[in-house]
Amino acid sequence: MTILSKTITAFGGILLAHACYSAQEHSALHSLRVATAASLTSSSTVANSLPIDVVIETIVATFIILLGLVLGTRPLRPIQWRVWAGKIEREGEDGFKDNNGEVNKDYMGNPFNFIESRPNFVDIRKQRKEFAEWVRTGGGGQSTR
Amino acid sequence: MPSELELQISPIVQESLVHNTRTLVNLQSLTASLFGVSAGILGLESYSGFLYYLIFSLITSALFYVVRVAPTSIASEKPPLDTSRYFRGPVEFWTGGLMNGLAGFILTWTLFYGLVSA
Repeated sequence: MTILSKTITAFGGILLAHACYSAQEHSALHSLRVATAASLTSSSTVANSLPIDVVIETIVATFIILLGLVLGTRPLRPIQWRVWAGKIEREGEDGFKDNNGEVNKDYMGNPFNFIESRPNFVDIRKQRKEFAEWVRTGGGGQSTR
Repeated sequence: MPSELELQISPIVQESLVHNTRTLVNLQSLTASLFGVSAGILGLESYSGFLYYLIFSLITSALFYVVRVAPTSIASEKPPLDTSRYFRGPVEFWTGGLMNGLAGFILTWTLFYGLVSA
């Protein structure tokens, strides 16, 4: 995602720089023409309007950079507490990564952790099952050695 | 704007709100400078320049809505163009960045206007 947005932005930047250069050259050429026309004939007016291709290139470049910048923004987070906590519960750290795939610095995990880690809430059967599993695999292997 | 009772019933996470607003403001101040550059290249003057800025800011908001807000917002059964999943009110989302970016827009607008038509 971030590579894509940077590529699009860079491409738009090149287009915009080219359009800027074209417009500047056109302006310089135009002022030169006005100066020579004024020296030749006194009643000559040359309209100073940008060529249509430069106008189109500028607007297209603006749209391309705009698209790249919008694609490069960070993902949003839900503001309602229940939606936000549900997202944490469902997705964990995966829901709070930025474009580079790193977890946000201010991600603090489940807001109800302090409740779920109380001794009354410990799932003792699950822990016993895990312990039995450990004895059968890792722990058993060590005892036979 | 939600009332106090609604805020008590469904509380709001301040960190998320700050994060979302900062993302939007960053984007809008960046793009405002970009619009200044292109307005200067096009050689716009007075009202047409401000109109250009207004139109492109609204396009930015719409594009941001399409890319960042719409996929999850519509998946959670909100009506289209409803930003209440991520922002407090529609006014803040659609026009909040106009004043933020205006200074940057005028700065780069005048700079590039002067550079191009020197």
